[in-house]
Amino acid sequence: MRREKIKKIPALLLASAIGLAATAGCGSSAPAGSETAARSEESAKESEKKTETGTGTPEEAAEEPAGTVTISFWHHYSAQSEENKTLTEILIPEFEKENPGIQVNAVSHEWADLHDKLLISARSDTLPDVARLDSAWVPEFQKMGILVPLNQEIDGFEEAADALLESAMSTAAIGGDQYGLALNTNTKILYYNKEAFEKAGLAVPETMEDFAAACRALAGANENGQQVWGYDEPALSGWNLCPFIWSMGGALTDETQTKATGYINSPETVAAIEMLAELYQENAITGWNSGDIPMTDGFGTGRYMMLLEGPWKVAELAGAYPDFAYGTAAVPAGKDGSVSVLGGEDIAMFRTANRDAAWKFMTFMTGAYAQEEMAKCGQIPCNKEALRSDTVKNADFAPYIEQLKTAKSRPTVAAWSEIDTELATAVTAVVNGEKTAQEAMDELAPKVDQLLSE
Amino acid sequence: MKLKGKSRAEIAMLLLPGLLIFGTFTIYPIVRLFWMSFCGWDFGSFLKQEFIGLSNYREVVTDGYFRTAFANTLAYTAVTVPAQMLLGLFVAMLIHSLPRGQIGFRVAYYLPVITSWVICSLVFRYVFNTEGLLNYFLTQVVHAAPQNIRWLDSRWGGMSVAMLLGIWKGIGWNMVVFLAALQTVPRELYESASLDGAGAWKKFVYVTLPGIRGTLLFALVMLTIGGFNVYTSTKLITDGKPGHETEVVLTWMYYKAFSTGKFGYAAALSFIIALVLAVLAVLQFRLMREKT
Amino acid sequence: MKRMRQAANIGSRKWMMLLAGAILAAGVAVVVLPMVYMISTALKPNGALYEYPPRFFPSRQEITLENFRYILGQKKFITNFFNSAVVSVTTVLGSAAVASALAFCIARFRFPGRTFLFSFIILTMIIPGTTMIVPQYELAVRLRAVNRLWGLIPFYIAWVIPYSTFMIKGFVESVPKELDEATYIDGGGVLTVYRHVILPLSKPGIASVSIFNFLTAWEEFPWANTVINDDAKRTLPIAISGFFGQHQFTQWGYVFALSVLSLIPILAVFLSCQRFFVEGLTAGSVKG
Repeated sequence: MRREKIKKIPALLLASAIGLAATAGCGSSAPAGSETAARSEESAKESEKKTETGTGTPEEAAEEPAGTVTISFWHHYSAQSEENKTLTEILIPEFEKENPGIQVNAVSHEWADLHDKLLISARSDTLPDVARLDSAWVPEFQKMGILVPLNQEIDGFEEAADALLESAMSTAAIGGDQYGLALNTNTKILYYNKEAFEKAGLAVPETMEDFAAACRALAGANENGQQVWGYDEPALSGWNLCPFIWSMGGALTDETQTKATGYINSPETVAAIEMLAELYQENAITGWNSGDIPMTDGFGTGRYMMLLEGPWKVAELAGAYPDFAYGTAAVPAGKDGSVSVLGGEDIAMFRTANRDAAWKFMTFMTGAYAQEEMAKCGQIPCNKEALRSDTVKNADFAPYIEQLKTAKSRPTVAAWSEIDTELATAVTAVVNGEKTAQEAMDELAPKVDQLLSE
Repeated sequence: MKLKGKSRAEIAMLLLPGLLIFGTFTIYPIVRLFWMSFCGWDFGSFLKQEFIGLSNYREVVTDGYFRTAFANTLAYTAVTVPAQMLLGLFVAMLIHSLPRGQIGFRVAYYLPVITSWVICSLVFRYVFNTEGLLNYFLTQVVHAAPQNIRWLDSRWGGMSVAMLLGIWKGIGWNMVVFLAALQTVPRELYESASLDGAGAWKKFVYVTLPGIRGTLLFALVMLTIGGFNVYTSTKLITDGKPGHETEVVLTWMYYKAFSTGKFGYAAALSFIIALVLAVLAVLQFRLMREKT
Repeated sequence: MKRMRQAANIGSRKWMMLLAGAILAAGVAVVVLPMVYMISTALKPNGALYEYPPRFFPSRQEITLENFRYILGQKKFITNFFNSAVVSVTTVLGSAAVASALAFCIARFRFPGRTFLFSFIILTMIIPGTTMIVPQYELAVRLRAVNRLWGLIPFYIAWVIPYSTFMIKGFVESVPKELDEATYIDGGGVLTVYRHVILPLSKPGIASVSIFNFLTAWEEFPWANTVINDDAKRTLPIAISGFFGQHQFTQWGYVFALSVLSLIPILAVFLSCQRFFVEGLTAGSVKG
């Protein structure tokens, strides 16, 4: 009985393989196809309707009682962070109190997840109303045609824009149109372990040479025999590499952002990557490997001696390692000075949004009250009034404000996410000794040229 | 039996829900998958596709990352399948030889199987962390390694941890399946083999193995499918790092589809995998049949 | 002489059994070690993560239920738990009804397309479910099932149908046909046979398959992670993996506390039905 059964299975397999081929062959013309057409027409109609009337997504309209609108706000404040707590426990309740009839459904995604979720939602008409976007993503989403050009289509835009810093607003400006409001700005500065520097008798590094020397000097073993590293870099993407590349005189692209060859593989860029690769191979720096200690833990427990990090690190360290003594300084200077990478987020609305409610929420989040609350957990405001507030004055953003003066933004091109991935992959091969920096960058340059031209 | 009109209607009623769900959510997607593998997407809606012929397939087979992912998947399957089967069979035979306490061991060895992939993967990632407990044990307690081993940081290191997890989690399933099969091998066969003076090894080769052949085959096919289905563990343990070197076919497919929006590529890749598996399954049945 | 050899045999058999028991016990230690470590980490304070030296067990003073208290105090994790329960139970009930009906029809009647249907069922057992994620996502978009909890359920049912039908069919075939015939002679129809003969007699098969289906739905990760967006609609596996942020420090204590809690229903289901489970698992390979 058993054997018979088993013998039958291969025959069944073959039969089903043939069956599959047969169905697949007629699949494109069969009922499946027409069903598809009918459905997509229907959904196209529905999305048209949505944009016309400007009401929320259909599911929300169905779920909420009449008169109440729920807007979805996607962001990447980490789920367990102070920022998220401020958002959900202070800001949203306040907004809902000020705007009866509007409810905000805030959804936290991990940074990389948010990008992917937006990308996929854009392609399936399931976008939220409002999102907090890493300013590096704005060109990509703008090219997909899913962002609302606020200056053209929203009344009261001028007033809202005037309250915000022009430099920060420029991160969401493309081709003369404004695709978001600046929500917060930031950059990275050097964090160092005070005790370790004192013990080693080292000065805080001011140049890249000093920095490399300090990494080497501070690396080694601690009193427990555990490995410690001079510096931690949690990934190898543009956000991580740019301060080194730029400070040392390199670049990713030309000024017009159309060409990478001659820039991403220039001697200066290659030198920056070589420096990092050498330090890594000498066990003086680490951080981007899957098995490494996470940044905050490693720094707080004295395993990493230096970091380049943003203003949010202050709150994080105070929460997790309140007794830990650290100092901050400018990014070490290379031949082009001390150039950090410009970060920051914009808040934008999507074409399918409930524009009225979305705009109210956007102006609330960029208003003085919300910006001041967020400043308390390390978000540097873009609102001019909030910047003059006592909270900000006492928040010790001074080193950041100073560093921001020379900070540069990553290439503002639609293909940035893909370029970023390629860059990280190429540099990973270099630090692991599979390729020389020159080889890897020479290979990378035409790929990036290609992506820039698409 | 002859079916009357009323019976036909009743059979149709019974079949309908199953056919509807299976047809809509499984068969239809398979057909779509095949169609999508010939389609391209522009920026814009997911729902608008255009026919671009074989170029997705061309892109897949010439893609170095895909080849790495495919090699990793093959290696994963080639290592975990025999290891699970051997260990599972070994444990099953030991349990089978016990007069008492079978149930206790059976439950204990089955625990990893019922623990979700997400949880197991996180535990392994934690244990194999460069600063984790295992390295501490190896370097400081038994002094087997001079310094911390960076399990998760290289291609084969990361893959090995995923493989270990696969084996650890799979032993229980194999144990249960083989245990049931061992119970069907008639005791008289062992007794007559003993009378012929056969030792333990000979009994294993000439009585046990032929007796559970069907189950071995079943397990082989199921586990091969499982090997190609690996996703959650590699995703959560290394997430492809360093530089996409620890991707398996499904994580790479997922990345291409949902991080870069290359759905046609992902569909073509999926279809290739489905075909490879169908061919492998047929081959395995053939091979097993010829051998015995 | 012969008796002496037998006595020696018995002696060595006893010795062998002891050895087998010892090896098995050692194996159990290795097998459950990671689980024990998970539980012990959940009982440690979060800050002790990179303590030196790392310890397998927390010290007596260190043991704390703080992680569990935190998890249970967060409304969203309770919601996640509830979501998983709803999805899993519905999947189990739905698939049991649908798969048993399919299995019954395939096992007992010749209808047009029967072989084809069964072939397809076998074929879909071979194709890894995740390979279909792109067209299934497209389908979910068209059906407006994205970011809906119920959107998970039909996909899960469809995933477990092949295996469930295959297994239950084995059980149905072991029900003697004479019982069907007797019911027909008594004037019962097909539905009567299904409800009063087949369902009760293949209960062990359905039960064992259901445990498996429960596990599948309870732990499913890639699909739920793709389709669900809102916090309030996430299932447990997504909630657990959500503790990880690339640059954030991970609170492993919370991760493992939630993991331990999410294991409890599975353990309860498994331990109470483990007899069925083994029976059902082996039905396909042995019973056929």
